[in-house]
Amino acid sequence: MRGFEPRDAAMVAELDDEERTVLARIVADVGLLLGGERFGLEGEGEPEPIDSERALFAALQGLEEALAEPDDPAILRLLPNASPEDREVADEFRRLTEADLRGLKVDRLRRMWRQLSEDGEQWRVERVEADATAAALTDVRLVLATRLGLSTDLEVDALHAEIDLAVRTLDEDEDATGVDHERVWLGMLYEALTWLQESLVRCLMDGDEPDAARSQDLGEDDV
Amino acid sequence: MAFQEELEPEGGVATRPDDAWVTLVWNDPVNLMSYVTYVFQTYFGFSQAEAEQRMREVHENGRSAVSTGSREKMEVDVQAMHGYGLWATLQRSGE
Repeated sequence: MRGFEPRDAAMVAELDDEERTVLARIVADVGLLLGGERFGLEGEGEPEPIDSERALFAALQGLEEALAEPDDPAILRLLPNASPEDREVADEFRRLTEADLRGLKVDRLRRMWRQLSEDGEQWRVERVEADATAAALTDVRLVLATRLGLSTDLEVDALHAEIDLAVRTLDEDEDATGVDHERVWLGMLYEALTWLQESLVRCLMDGDEPDAARSQDLGEDDV
Repeated sequence: MAFQEELEPEGGVATRPDDAWVTLVWNDPVNLMSYVTYVFQTYFGFSQAEAEQRMREVHENGRSAVSTGSREKMEVDVQAMHGYGLWATLQRSGE
């Protein structure tokens, strides 16, 4: 795997077939979690009307009844409570925005799934698509983090140590009965996605630098 | 500050109805510091220095007030933050 690097008006990462398959699968899972269709099974080129119909239906339903807060903590992290102290504000926000947010997130995940399902090792993200890709990577990482029970920085550090230890144990062919393989596998996927997202955001920020340099030259924007 | 609110009742809180709400962004262990900075620059139009300062505030103090305005405007900002995957809330300012 190679992180994103700028190329022309795009950012390009490299993933082998297995990495692409694993990533495409988790992206599709998060799409399903958000109430999207199973990516790849719908007729290509027609998902948008289906989606807007669904969004419209959800919006109409929302007029009748306040949407309940999602029970699944992973979905709740993607569609969080906008006002924990004020139920009326939280309910109104959810009624007004939830269908749109779900639609936005599922659309982004579907586009990312399509990119990952193309042939070849290169994962090419056009500059205009890059913000949406970075946000979709965030959503996938948020779901994985919820499943891994990561709610503090310390827990993230502990996961890293756990993965390190598991990899060493397996390398040294020691008794690996204490290793939770599924957790280590999910954790490694989480860390790979973190690394990919970091490389993508670095490209975006470096790309914006000429503007920052210009405004500094003008002596403005400082403090 | 030189500018004084007019028509402010004695001892009243110096907020206009338009500015009575605030958007808070909360810390979480998932969102990258670089990404949060990038989102603040992109969406709110903060300079890189200002975006970094707000990001540090989120990271170190647990939250940062990133915008103020009417409730409707704050709903738009919170929705945008949720779109980016940041955890944001709105509340009346001063609460």
